Amino acid sequence: MFNRIRLVATREFLTTVTSKGFLIGVFVMPLIGLALTFAIPKIMAQRGAQITVEVALIESSGTLADTLRRELDPEVIIARRNAGRRAAMEQAAPGTGDMAEKAPAPQLTVPKFIVKVLPAGSTADAEKGWLTAQDIGERARRALLVVPPEAITQASPGADYGLYQLYAPRNLPEDAEDMLQDAMRVTLTTERLRAGGLDPALVQKATHVPQPRTVVVAPDGRRQAPAGLNRALPFIMGILLFMGVMIGGQALMTSTIEEKSSRVVEVLLAAVSPLELMWGKLLGQLGVGLVMMSVYITLGVLALMQFAMFGLLDPLLILWLLVFFLVAYLVFGALMLAIGAAVSQLADAQSLMGPVMMLLITPYILTPFIGRQPDSTFSVVASFIPPISPFVILARLASSSPPPVWQVLLSLAVSVGGACIAVWFAAKVFRIGLLLHGKPPSFGTLIKWARMS
Amino acid sequence: MQTALKLQGVEKSFGEQKAVTALELTVPSGETCGLIGPSGAGKTTSIRLIMSILFPDAGTVEVLGQASALQAKDRIGYLPEERGVYRKMKVWAFLKYLAGLKGMPEAKSQPRAKELLAALGLDDILQKRCEDLSKGMLQRVQFVGSILHQPELLILDEPFSGLDPVSVRALKGVISAERRRGTTILFSTHVMAQAEELCDRVVMIHKGRKVLDEPMASLRRRYDPTRVLFEPLDANASLAVLRDVPGVVSLQQRDGEAELSLAKGTDPAAVIREAAARVVPARIEIARITLEDVFVGIVRGQSGAESEAALRQHLQGLSGEKA
Repeated sequence: MFNRIRLVATREFLTTVTSKGFLIGVFVMPLIGLALTFAIPKIMAQRGAQITVEVALIESSGTLADTLRRELDPEVIIARRNAGRRAAMEQAAPGTGDMAEKAPAPQLTVPKFIVKVLPAGSTADAEKGWLTAQDIGERARRALLVVPPEAITQASPGADYGLYQLYAPRNLPEDAEDMLQDAMRVTLTTERLRAGGLDPALVQKATHVPQPRTVVVAPDGRRQAPAGLNRALPFIMGILLFMGVMIGGQALMTSTIEEKSSRVVEVLLAAVSPLELMWGKLLGQLGVGLVMMSVYITLGVLALMQFAMFGLLDPLLILWLLVFFLVAYLVFGALMLAIGAAVSQLADAQSLMGPVMMLLITPYILTPFIGRQPDSTFSVVASFIPPISPFVILARLASSSPPPVWQVLLSLAVSVGGACIAVWFAAKVFRIGLLLHGKPPSFGTLIKWARMS
Repeated sequence: MQTALKLQGVEKSFGEQKAVTALELTVPSGETCGLIGPSGAGKTTSIRLIMSILFPDAGTVEVLGQASALQAKDRIGYLPEERGVYRKMKVWAFLKYLAGLKGMPEAKSQPRAKELLAALGLDDILQKRCEDLSKGMLQRVQFVGSILHQPELLILDEPFSGLDPVSVRALKGVISAERRRGTTILFSTHVMAQAEELCDRVVMIHKGRKVLDEPMASLRRRYDPTRVLFEPLDANASLAVLRDVPGVVSLQQRDGEAELSLAKGTDPAAVIREAAARVVPARIEIARITLEDVFVGIVRGQSGAESEAALRQHLQGLSGEKA
C-alpha cells in the first residue's frame, strides 16, 4: 500500500515540478513582480514636457502673492509630494513608509508657475476672456485665483474663514490643479497666522513632530526588529501560506480533472485503491508546495542577511510556518481534490471553487487587522476556527506580540481536526466522483455523496 | 480445476435502470471466455463489477479466490473500454509506472515491454510522448500496460475496437500467447467473429441478463447446419431453379450468390448434390453457424417482438468491422 502511495506521489511531484507552469509560477512570476516594482516608477516618470501656468491673483492683502510664489517653487512642491507619498504607503502597507523614503522618488515634471497680481477692482467675470484665450501657445496654461479678505482675516473673532475660488479652463492638467491647491492650503495657513499675529515659522516648527523608529523590546531581548519588519511580517507569512496552498490546491484539482477526462483513472483504479490514489496525490503536491516554500524562504532569508537583519527573524517562526502550511494545505488540498474528482472538465469546477476560494481569501483579507491587533478577542477567537485558524495564528505568531504557547497548540489541534474532516470528506467524494461523467454536481450533491457509505 | 472468477446473483442498477440482472458466471482457471452482446447489453458494467470499480447492489464477486478484485489487484491485468494515458508522459515512463503500481520491478518490466511492443509492431516508441502517438498506437500501448506484469487473470474490455486489421491480428497473436501461458482471459466484444475465433467459452448478455453460457465446441455441435451457400460459375445463371431442390424451404439471392435454407432434418449432402446437378457451381459450402445466428436465435426465442432482420441489422451496424 505504501509503495503504491509512494509511486503515485513521486509521479505527481515530478510531473508538476518539471512542468513549465510550475517553473513560471515559482521563479518567473516573482522576478516579473520585482521587475515591475522597479519599472513602474520609471514608467510613471516618463511624462510630458514641462508646461507653464500663468496664475492670475485677485486679492487685497498684498503679501499673499509672495508666499504663494514661494510655495509654488518646484523644489518645495517635490518635497511636499514625497512627504505625502510616505504617509500613503505607510497607511496602505504598514512598515513600508521607510522604503518609500529610500526608494528613488518618481521624477515629477513640475510645471513652471508664474504668479501675477491683477489690479484692484478686477473681477472673475471680467477675466474670463483672458482665462479661456486659445492663442497662448501649446505649453501655456492659465488659472485664476480669487481670494476675498475674509479668507485671510476672520470677519469676527471665532468665525469661520471665507473660501477662495480657483477658476481654470478645461485644459489645466489635474496634476497642476492639485499642486496649486496644495500650495494655496499652505499659503493661506501662513497668511492667516500672520494676520492673527503669530509667527508662521515658529508654528511650523512647533507642529512638526517627526515619527521615531520604534524599537520593540522583549523581556528576553531577542525580538528587536524594527517596527517596520514587525508590521510587515504577518503579511509576508500570510502571502507565503496563501501561495503555497493555492499552487498545491490548483495543481491537485487540475491533475485530477486531467486523469478523469483522459480516462486514465480507470487504469489507475485497477492498480490502486481510490484512497491510495488520493493520498499519493496529496503527498506529491505537498512536496511541490514545500519546494516552493523553501525557495521563497531561502530567498527571504538571503535578502534579510543582505541587510544584516537575519538575527531579527525568529527561526521558530519558519518552523511554525511549515507546520501550519502542512495543515492548511491538507484542508484546501483535500477540498480541491474533491472538486477535481467531482467534475469532468475545468470549466465545471468554477462554481464549486467559489466557496472554497472564499474560505481561502477570508483569512488573507483579515491578516492586516490581525497583524495590527493580535490580542483582540476577534483575533483570539478566529485562531480556533478551522479552516482559517492556521492563517490567523500564523499572523499572530509573526506579529509584535505573539500568542501564548497554549493558544498555538490549541489552534494546531483544532486545525488538524479540521484537516481530518476535510480529508475524510474528500475521500468519500473522490471515490464516488472519479468514475462519474456528465453533469457537474452541486455542493449539496457532494455532501450527499459524503454521507453515503 | 480452480476457479478464477465466480459471480453469484450479481445485480446492479443505475437509478431506475437495471444494468445487470441476476448474473451468474464461473470462469475456470486457464479458460478464455468471451463476453458478447450488443452495445449497451451490460458488458462493461459486468466487467467493472468484477474489477470492483463498481460495487454490486446484490450478490457476490469472487476473483482469484479473493472476496474482491481489490485484494488481487497485482494479479489482474485490466484494459478498460475507455482508454486513457497521461498525454505528457513518455511511453516507457507510463508503462513503468503501471508496472510499478502492480509491484513489478523495472528490471523485469523493461525487457518485457520492449518484447511486447515489438510483437505489436511498435518498435522504438518507449521514449516518445503519449500525445505524439496515434489512437491505435496508444491502444496497443495500453494493452501492453495491462499484461506487462504477467497477470493470472486478464480482463479486456473491447480489446479490438478501433484497430486496423493488421493490429487486430498482432493483438490476437499476443492474446493467444498469454492463453498458452495459462492466463485466464475474459474479454468482451460485440464483434461475434472475434469471440468465435478466440474463445473456449461464450457468455452472451442481452439487456443485462445472461442468455447463453456454453463452451464453443458444444455450441457448434448443438446448432445443426441449416444453410447452404451457392455461387454459380456463370454469374448470369438463373438461380430460381434451386428453390425446387427437395429439402430447401427458402432461397435468398444476394451479390450473385444464393443462400438456401434447409428444412429441419434434411441431409445437406443430398441438397448439395442435387443443386450442383441443376446449376454449374463455382463454390458450394455449408454455412457455419455463427454466434450472430445463435444470438439472433436466442433473442428471437425470448421476445418475439423483434424481427430477425432488424436484429441482424442492429448487430451489423454495431460491429461494422467484421474482422
